[in-house]
Amino acid sequence: MLASRMESRATPDGRLVRIDDGHVYGFSAMASPCEVRIKSDDGALALMIGQAAEAEARRIEVKYSRYRADSTLSQINASGGVPVTLDDETANLIDYAAQCHALSGGRFDITSGVLRRIWRFDGSDNIPDTAAIQAVRPLIGWNKLDWQRPALVLPAGMELDLGGLGKEYAVDRAALAVMALGDTAVLINFGGDLRATAPPADGSRWRAAIEAVDGDDTAGAVVEIASGALATSGDARRFLFKAGVRYSHILDPRTGWPVRNPPRSVTVAAPSCIEAGFLSTLAMLHGAQAERFLKREGVPAWVVR
Amino acid sequence: MQLVHKRTGKLTRSLGLLTAALFAATNATAQTQVSGDAGPDTSQSLNHAVADGPDTIRVDSAILFYQESGSRVRAIEPVINVTDNRANGDVFTMKLTADTLTGATPNGAAPWIAPQTFITPTNTSVSSTSTSASGHSVVTTVNGIATRTYVAPPNTTPLDYGFQDQRLAIDLGYATSIGAKSHISGGGGFSKENDYQSISGNIGISQDFNDKNTTASLSLNAEFDQSRPYYGTPTPFTPMSAKMGGPGESKTVLGVVAGLTQVMNRHWLAQLSFSYSNNQGYQTDPYRILSVVDAVTGGPLEYLYEGRPTSRNRQSLYFGNKIAIGETVAGLSVRGYHDSWGITSFTGEISERVPLGPWAFIEPNFRYYTQSAADFFVNYLVAGTPLPQYASSDSRLGKFNAATVAVKAGYQPFDNMGELYVNIAYYKQSGDSHPADAIGALKTQDLFSGVNAASVVLGYSFAF
Repeated sequence: MLASRMESRATPDGRLVRIDDGHVYGFSAMASPCEVRIKSDDGALALMIGQAAEAEARRIEVKYSRYRADSTLSQINASGGVPVTLDDETANLIDYAAQCHALSGGRFDITSGVLRRIWRFDGSDNIPDTAAIQAVRPLIGWNKLDWQRPALVLPAGMELDLGGLGKEYAVDRAALAVMALGDTAVLINFGGDLRATAPPADGSRWRAAIEAVDGDDTAGAVVEIASGALATSGDARRFLFKAGVRYSHILDPRTGWPVRNPPRSVTVAAPSCIEAGFLSTLAMLHGAQAERFLKREGVPAWVVR
Repeated sequence: MQLVHKRTGKLTRSLGLLTAALFAATNATAQTQVSGDAGPDTSQSLNHAVADGPDTIRVDSAILFYQESGSRVRAIEPVINVTDNRANGDVFTMKLTADTLTGATPNGAAPWIAPQTFITPTNTSVSSTSTSASGHSVVTTVNGIATRTYVAPPNTTPLDYGFQDQRLAIDLGYATSIGAKSHISGGGGFSKENDYQSISGNIGISQDFNDKNTTASLSLNAEFDQSRPYYGTPTPFTPMSAKMGGPGESKTVLGVVAGLTQVMNRHWLAQLSFSYSNNQGYQTDPYRILSVVDAVTGGPLEYLYEGRPTSRNRQSLYFGNKIAIGETVAGLSVRGYHDSWGITSFTGEISERVPLGPWAFIEPNFRYYTQSAADFFVNYLVAGTPLPQYASSDSRLGKFNAATVAVKAGYQPFDNMGELYVNIAYYKQSGDSHPADAIGALKTQDLFSGVNAASVVLGYSFAF
């Protein structure tokens, strides 16, 4: 049953639509609407590019989804303290995450997913009590893992979550897969994390709209990029509100509490999507200091408060 | 909404490095074009062919073994040379050469502190992932397009192991005399590689003066080469990809050589020659790429195919001497070269042939070579700067020095007609490994991709 379902997932099921200046290939993966914009009138080529991007998205989803028991990530999370030997790709990602942890001074931590067990951002006022937070804090902290590439020991009860990197990584990998097929200008957009493989041949730029975060008059903006990636972090619909305090879904793994006063959203442009994603998340983790952080780093960024 | 943008911070720079390592980049391919074009570093020496009398045939058979250090190119080349000295004084020559080249060649990308992945087209058609025989690359089919992927380890010159070539060549020549003092000669050659073919012809005249103590010669040669790269001809400065390139390309060479040979005295023979050639057409290496690196970190962002000018004029001046001192023969030569790509080179060579009894000799040889870089030589391109019109990172177009130490030894085992010989040579290139203007972590990398090589020639020559 599971096997047959996986098989059906492995076949591309996206749809190709012809538009004025090329094609759009759409599909759904990683719980997000995914879109591949191809600046080519060649339908066969566009289909091939779209399917190559989709194949990469599906491959990474199958491999790193927390929600699939057979994923590499779930196998790590189910290891219960027994050393797991990781394949090269996973090991590279773990190395990357470890370095992100170090670069961010511990703010970015792929072990912080367990906090979601107690923090549920459903727009309600269900704030967990301090005791509950203290109870899960021993299960958080990258430094508690023993990582001697390629062997990883994840202490029992702890969990890894590539949420902050996985989708962005998929975008970059899909872009690489598409670039391997030629130099057609392609924009890959997996649930708002996007990357352009090349500037459009007509000399124009890719346009991406930054979504307005809610119904009020905070207008969205249109960002133009020639190539490279954009990623957005935000709390558009994911927050808690109690006693006049808005609790963002950006959790500080060092305290177990939501970051105070983060922007509503941060969009960052970077050469690769994984960089853009990490920088936008890290900016959010700086809370009230987000703009200062972005300014200090000098990255092109758009902040919505 | 506000835009925040300024100079890149430390964290972002580190992140750029890490990300480059994670993806270790995109596309590539490589394979050095081994063509008949020997480049400026060509030895040219006085041919003191064994003088056989009329009505004899000399057969010279030899096999060359060539190996570059670091498991780079390995070549095995058997050669058979037949010289038929006709009774009427005419000379017919035929040379057959077969080459087999295997090994790895630099693909043109700069080395980096992290592994780099290169994707190339491939002719291998497979329906699933497999590892090629060499174990260095993987062939994958994505939606019907076959791609080959290989990874260059950190801190080493990226090499492509998908390098293999066979070459067959035949050269024919005929020389005849008009009267006692004039000679004319003509010849033609054809050589074929898997992805390259060359056809050439030459015609020459020479005239003896001054009691045959002076010989002036003039020869013209023409060559037509066709390049049909395995994966098509890529457009220069487009990103490396698994996409097939355009149709084959060609090149035409027209050249002239004027020479003067003078017997200075009983012990001294001198030769002066000037050569000029004009090369028109495709002279880019279709397998070679360039890294485009981040302006701050030096990390690879993408790989572009190289591009070279379609015109090249080359000229050289050579002065060689053979001097008999007692039983020994010394060779002394110098050569200067300049071409329109901006390369200027100088070669100096010295050898001494020492007889060991009546049946054997030994001949040590030392050669020094130095050249300046072509105008368009770069180690890599920098992101954010305008693309040049031409660029190549081929170390053979860069500034370098080379030294060759060789020893040749011969022995006549049976009689005067046969000779067994061996030539052992070691060649070492040195260049600018750490240019002062290297960017970021490229400062830690050895950016010179030149080689050291050893070769052994075993030959047997006999006449009947």
